[in-house]
Amino acid sequence: MNRFVFADPNMCIGCRTCEIACVVSHQVDGKLDGVSPEAFAPRLTLVKNVHVTTPVMCRQCDDAPCAQVCPNNAIVLEDGYVKVIQSRCIGCKTCVIACPYGAMNVVTTMVEESKGGSLFNRMAPKSQALKCDLCAHREAGPACVEVCPTSAIQLIKPETLSETSKQKREAAALNAAVASFR
Amino acid sequence: MKKSIVVCPYCGTGCKLKLVVENNKVIAAEPAMGRTNEGQLCLKGYYGWDFLNDTNLLTPRLKQPMIRRTRESALEAVSWDEAIQFASDKLMAIKKQYGPDAIMTTGSARGPGNEANYVMQKFARAVIGTNNVDHCARV
Amino acid sequence: MSNAITEIQQAKCLLIFGYNAADSHPVVARHILKARANGAKIIVCDPRKIESARIADQWLPLNNGSNMALVNAIANVIIEEDLYDKAFVQNNTEGFDAFREIASHYTPESVEQVTGLKAADIRLAARTYAAASEAMILWGMGVTQYGQAVDVVRGLAGLALLTGNFGRPGVGCGPVRGQNNVQGTCDMGMLPHQFPGYQSVADDVIRDKFEKAWGVTLSGTPGYRLTEVGHKADEGICKAFYIFGEDPAQTEADLAAMRATMRKMELVIVQDIFMTQTAEFADVIFPATSWGEHEGVYSSADRGFQRFYKAVNPSGDVKPDWEIFSLLATRMGYPMSYSNTEEIWDELRALAPLYAGVTYEKMADLKSVQWPCPTEDHPGTSYLFEGNKFSTPSGKGIFIGAEWRPPLEQPDSDYPLVLSTVREVGHYSCRSMTGNCSALQTLADEPGYVQMHPDDAKALGIDDQQLVWVSSRRGKVISRANYNDRVNKGVVYMTYQWWIGACNELTIEHVDPISSTPEFKYCAVKVEHIDDQAWAENYVQTEYSSLKARLKSHVANA
Repeated sequence: MNRFVFADPNMCIGCRTCEIACVVSHQVDGKLDGVSPEAFAPRLTLVKNVHVTTPVMCRQCDDAPCAQVCPNNAIVLEDGYVKVIQSRCIGCKTCVIACPYGAMNVVTTMVEESKGGSLFNRMAPKSQALKCDLCAHREAGPACVEVCPTSAIQLIKPETLSETSKQKREAAALNAAVASFR
Repeated sequence: MKKSIVVCPYCGTGCKLKLVVENNKVIAAEPAMGRTNEGQLCLKGYYGWDFLNDTNLLTPRLKQPMIRRTRESALEAVSWDEAIQFASDKLMAIKKQYGPDAIMTTGSARGPGNEANYVMQKFARAVIGTNNVDHCARV
Repeated sequence: MSNAITEIQQAKCLLIFGYNAADSHPVVARHILKARANGAKIIVCDPRKIESARIADQWLPLNNGSNMALVNAIANVIIEEDLYDKAFVQNNTEGFDAFREIASHYTPESVEQVTGLKAADIRLAARTYAAASEAMILWGMGVTQYGQAVDVVRGLAGLALLTGNFGRPGVGCGPVRGQNNVQGTCDMGMLPHQFPGYQSVADDVIRDKFEKAWGVTLSGTPGYRLTEVGHKADEGICKAFYIFGEDPAQTEADLAAMRATMRKMELVIVQDIFMTQTAEFADVIFPATSWGEHEGVYSSADRGFQRFYKAVNPSGDVKPDWEIFSLLATRMGYPMSYSNTEEIWDELRALAPLYAGVTYEKMADLKSVQWPCPTEDHPGTSYLFEGNKFSTPSGKGIFIGAEWRPPLEQPDSDYPLVLSTVREVGHYSCRSMTGNCSALQTLADEPGYVQMHPDDAKALGIDDQQLVWVSSRRGKVISRANYNDRVNKGVVYMTYQWWIGACNELTIEHVDPISSTPEFKYCAVKVEHIDDQAWAENYVQTEYSSLKARLKSHVANA
């Protein structure tokens, strides 16, 4: 089972610290310099409506629809998470349509494309499918988990799930003991 | 690289954090185990320090004393000595003509700190001679 | 705050009144969530469905400006249903009968109209609060920024007195202070009627102590307040304005009036770290070192003295604030010199018995000392009024009741909506600091939002995210509509740090008679649709760019 980042809406206060942490984590060298409105593309997005406040991000689906639909095999299951091989991304956005969580974001920027001598350089579009990568490049793990001031965001591991399921079963067993058939 | 303990300069919670400094430049903020914040920070604590690196995004830092010789003239950079003399002359003249209570002073509820405010109210009370001291507690 | 921020977790009930911790103090919000996880009942009184309301046991969405009526009705229930702590009231308080008399006029049924709440809901909240073994009240600007503010504060303190919720951990009253050192400026006597340590300027014995220490004769007449400066300038009484580390041309109510006041001054001195719209009015600008470039002590909202250290050397020809005052004092004929902040601190604590025992050593690194701390072997005080001894002459808690009075400027056909000013989580105060931080200004920038209930917006033909005009009898600004289902109909909300969308152009300088705090939370406005959105977007950018360029030019051309 893949690990994934999950936020508890009952703990979230909508402060957006996680969004900045995500952007900073994916800057060159993880530095704050260069964070700007143009380049602000957090891989988790705060949703705030009348009922709920919570960031929404990739669940690292074990049978990931984004990977299934990618026509160029740019999305793979590797290193325990759903990874985008950005060099293969063609910006077709099929993954955006397939993702049930709205957690995929295709960003296209113009970059200089080098073809031998500088005389032949030109600006060409380059697409990236941006999604949560569990901050795989970061020793301390996902930045959003680390900074959340209310500890609403957690990294869910297989053992976390089995432990909570066990607790739920025990609670259910207790309730069953009260509601006897006789 | 060194780390300096500071208290967050934004809200009244009083969160403690460490500014990570390299070559006299702040490069990161880390939460510290302060009494009220218990190792947590919000976005302002984590990301509210880069103005120290002269980002000049909204408005420039003030880096030299300035005076306006007449109401019509522009602000002019001067030495500390000249700025202090100019302010001193004007304050003394107003105090002499209208009395000390014609001068209003304010404290700062932001970055300067308690010692600076103590000295400011002492300046107002002992030097100017007025209790006209107040601050922006109400906003 | 009577009790430490950390004690929030020990409360069994939190009554959160006009206080949005999630936006104002996210780390306090964490303590609230911990209290809830520990089983505390949460009651939130706020017109908006703020984050605490979302997770509360009970949310009372009261009408804006009805605070006093609700507080009186809660008191009414606690008294009339016999839920109050009779022994505590008998032994430790004064003024109960008069308080009871006023509260008796406010049955929950009688305030349904004014508060917009159902009587049964008010009764339930009052019972929950009264039943808790430890109950704490937290409030913020939603209480204090009204023309009737101090009365409501006293009313809330009255609820704590009724239920004996003082003098123990996890109880009491918590006005959670806004800016990082608002508590500190009060502690330091930045008040027109008190020397440092809350000592009255009118008290001869105290004045004598300060006169001996400072070697001068001091005035025993209280000075005037910041909010009175306009009138004092109009009357020709105030001629000079020395503004230290604040931006009244952004943060005070009714900015047009504030600008007129500054123009009337014969002398404006601004001591700051950034070129602000206030600094534009200066005749003298003293550039100071910033947080991060100097050391000192701040006071947290719960009376905690905490040291902060210097991290970097400043780049310009700037000086620490205290050094600037010392230079000026010396030039004016009163020699003043300090070699460091510790020397200043030691002078202060020698004069203020409340802080006498707080040494620099005791605040070193991560340590924090909460006043009162009268002697060096005293550990500081997490909660006030231990043993139910109050800081009044009689040592008893005093009930002070008040009748509800409505806010001053009511909506009418010309200005049919109410404006309330609120906070932006990623920015602080006038925004000179956070606006110069790359991530924070990326998250939120000009012209800011006017939060509106979608029904109100649709009735005006306004789409979500469209630019709109917002105007009051005092000014007109452009802002961006934000359809927001969490706000109540008939009221719009704007955050106060924007320059172009500056809501304080609209607010009214109607102040509480005791605290002099303006009624930032209530004035009448209208919101208008703008047909040409492309023009409006361009207008915002042009105005913003030219204002930024103008401020830069003052510095660049000096």
